[in-house]
Amino acid sequence: MIEVLQKAVEYGEKLGAQFVDARYDDLTLRTLERTDDTWKDIQVKSRMGVGITCYVEGVSGYSFTASSTMKEVRAAAQKAFKMARASAPAAELRLPITKGSPSKSAPSDTLRVKIHPSERDLAYKVDLVNRTIEAAREHGANIKNVRGLYGELHGRKIFTNSEGSSVDWNYLVTDMRCFVISKADSGALVIGLEGNGGTFGLEYFESKGNTPEDVGGEAGSRAKEQLKAQPCPAGNLRALIDERLAGVLAHESFGHLSEADFVVTGASPLTNKIGSRLGTPEASILDSGLPDIRKTGGLWVPFDDQGVRGSSTTVLDKGVLLHYLHNRGTAERLSERPTGNSRAVSYVFPPIVRMTNTYFMPGNLSEQEALEKLDTGVYAIQSSGGQVEGNGSFLFIAVRGYWVEHGEIKYPLREVALSGNILELLTRVEGATRDLHIQSGYFGGCGKGDQSPLPVGLGGPKIVIGNVTFGGKA
Amino acid sequence: MEYESIKDELLSVADTGLKFAAKRDSSAEFEVYVHYGSVSRVELDQGMVTAKDGAVAGCAVRVAKGKRLGFACASGISTARVKKAVEESLSVVNSVSAEDDKFSGFCDPKKAGRECKFNRNILGVEVDELMRHCQDMTKEARSVDPRVKVVTAECRVLWDSYAVANSRGVQQASRSGSNRCLVYVMSIDGDERKTAYRHDAACDRLLHTEGLGKEAASEAVGQHHAKKLELTSVLPTLWGPEAAAAYVLSSLGQSAHGRAVVEHTSPLCDMMGAAIAGEGFTLVDEGQRPDGLGTEAVDAEGHPQMRNIIVENGILKGFLFNTYYGRLFGVGSTGNCSRGGGPFGTPIPYESVTGISAKALEVSPGTKTHDQLVSSIDGKGILIADDPMGIFHSTMSTGQFSVVANRVYLIEKGSRSYPLQPLSVAGNYYDGFKKLNGVGSNATLGLYGVRSPSLVFDGFTVVG
Repeated sequence: MIEVLQKAVEYGEKLGAQFVDARYDDLTLRTLERTDDTWKDIQVKSRMGVGITCYVEGVSGYSFTASSTMKEVRAAAQKAFKMARASAPAAELRLPITKGSPSKSAPSDTLRVKIHPSERDLAYKVDLVNRTIEAAREHGANIKNVRGLYGELHGRKIFTNSEGSSVDWNYLVTDMRCFVISKADSGALVIGLEGNGGTFGLEYFESKGNTPEDVGGEAGSRAKEQLKAQPCPAGNLRALIDERLAGVLAHESFGHLSEADFVVTGASPLTNKIGSRLGTPEASILDSGLPDIRKTGGLWVPFDDQGVRGSSTTVLDKGVLLHYLHNRGTAERLSERPTGNSRAVSYVFPPIVRMTNTYFMPGNLSEQEALEKLDTGVYAIQSSGGQVEGNGSFLFIAVRGYWVEHGEIKYPLREVALSGNILELLTRVEGATRDLHIQSGYFGGCGKGDQSPLPVGLGGPKIVIGNVTFGGKA
Repeated sequence: MEYESIKDELLSVADTGLKFAAKRDSSAEFEVYVHYGSVSRVELDQGMVTAKDGAVAGCAVRVAKGKRLGFACASGISTARVKKAVEESLSVVNSVSAEDDKFSGFCDPKKAGRECKFNRNILGVEVDELMRHCQDMTKEARSVDPRVKVVTAECRVLWDSYAVANSRGVQQASRSGSNRCLVYVMSIDGDERKTAYRHDAACDRLLHTEGLGKEAASEAVGQHHAKKLELTSVLPTLWGPEAAAAYVLSSLGQSAHGRAVVEHTSPLCDMMGAAIAGEGFTLVDEGQRPDGLGTEAVDAEGHPQMRNIIVENGILKGFLFNTYYGRLFGVGSTGNCSRGGGPFGTPIPYESVTGISAKALEVSPGTKTHDQLVSSIDGKGILIADDPMGIFHSTMSTGQFSVVANRVYLIEKGSRSYPLQPLSVAGNYYDGFKKLNGVGSNATLGLYGVRSPSLVFDGFTVVG
């Protein structure tokens, strides 16, 4: 396939493009979903196609095809060139790419796992989901609905460009989730959820804390606990956030603002702020395509979709803004090193600046010390999503929480919404625990630029924050 | 592929796939779905241009052997790819013993509905014209005020078609097209950053971009010097058309889905015929509106699309179903089968199994103008100008929501007063509908495809 891509690059250059890159995905995706006693979904997807980007005078044009024949790939190259050429006269901000050294991959760039999902049959995965559901039922109460999910994504990604790069590696994501809905005596529905994914072999789902019994049991137990949970008080309160919520905060609020496509246009409030103190010394945020997955979990991204080798980028170092996240064009424009953050959901989309694994760095507190530091406030746990605006304002939904008084957990809280401005919030980070966990997976992901869902990793330790606005009951 | 012949070509591919499938296993029931979609998109972001042109094409096969079900899909619509999807779906169904005992067959054949009224001139819009629209909107926005520092304009032309064939005799296809634009403006004054957007979308005419940049910029600039509310209280909230559309979509737009109703995850499941909203509230899913962006002749499994009343004068009247959930509920499909549901759909529908989605939600307009709704609020109230942050992260099952309204104004003594800094608004969707205090006459098509007028709710907690 690399030969077809190389010919497409040559063809694009012959048409007049100053730089061309071409990539090929041949991915398999498998989803299993059971709701109560019914199998809702057992499916397999084959996602195979080619994407071509042509650059003319610093303007990119993109096209794609689901075919891998030379004729169709050449046609895509021609369309990409035409789009770039037609758009070039209107451009006021150009992001040309200077030719450099080619990227070359090695077999070791693909993370090895003990049991690759392609080595186990469907019955094995069906059993994982069945065990999850049974465990949820065993530990739950007043259950109205229980849903078990398993997902896997794997396959080849091949890339070349005008520099003669030759990148060929295998992508892998596996995931298992459980969702439980229970009905309280008041008639209100409450939820409990658990699960995790990342670049794991299936051995992960037989490890302590991650077995179907652990995942289902936790989801059932949490829904049961929520039956007696109280609404969160509204107002400005001290907060302790868990690793998963910290990850959403790192990704949604700060991570997106550090993406250099927002910086070169001036849309990000982090524009021209390199070297500035934005947070307390307890606040450090990294993005890494190569996390220590056995230790922290996460997603393995050894190359981005512009063929740039994955790396670890300290974005915020002890409160000081150190670096942005880049594609090749923005890196050149801002004279920073490329960070391997140009990613696309599939060949249908052009790569844009996206995160890989984004997380707060751990501190030195134990969980108990963190609760004592919180003193009185909300311990917010897990997240069902979040959103940030270009002005830095954010909103995150924590799935559940606890009301804490004088360092002691008092009672469970229902869904909790935290809001504020990230740049103000970073000045209120008071401490972090020693643990680091990165959450990733097949279900959900980043939705930037209508390209959803792109698997990403996000995480951190538990973090104590001085003052957060909670939406709730007045 | 050409728009005029696309349906015949896709039907032919679907039929080939179905015949191949029947030969491979005559004991199974099959459904073959084939999709082709063309998109041209140009974005001008602070002078930085990104352009894309291509066609999404793929196929999906569902197979049923008794109560055992399998699904597979493949990118591409060549015979080889369709056959691959058939083979994969059979390998799924033959390798599992898991059954869906509620399954009772795919969609039965029925007479198709109508397609949207599509203006063929849209097909002739070239990249340079899309670019010119982007430049015009940007120029307009920048001319409003020097504080308008960031302008992003985007235009796109899309057309697509799909065909469905199944073992029960369904052989249906539909096609549609549209052109859409969006301009997003950020005004910066010191550390204060204020944003606003405007958009246009149509299938029956070419884009109207004139005035959009100016309106968005004026709204963004007008929010500067926002004051803090300095209050935690329960206040009446007036949701402008964009905000109200988002409210409806993330609440009833999800909980009226047949799956949520049948599986008891919707709080509406036992409330048919009950009063769930104020008397002035009527909600319809209009799958056959001639100029509707969700209008198709058939849905994603070949059932005719329809007009479905969900709430009429505050009374819950109906839910939205595909064939599977419609049969389970005992009412049949309402023509709401989708591939790639959720509030936003998906650009790659063939990769999703069949689900349920609203086609084009419409809240019927009331009699009061937006200004009359403002003046109807005694004392303090809040005007939420467009979709607040977090509105799509709330949980339909519980109805609890907590959002941050960024473009927000204080209402005092019946008049719109000064802009406010972002504030948190929290409550319960369904309690809100019961405390609905006003429906405007200004129904507008929102960014997410829902047509709604302004709505006034009592009883939400505001923190600012």
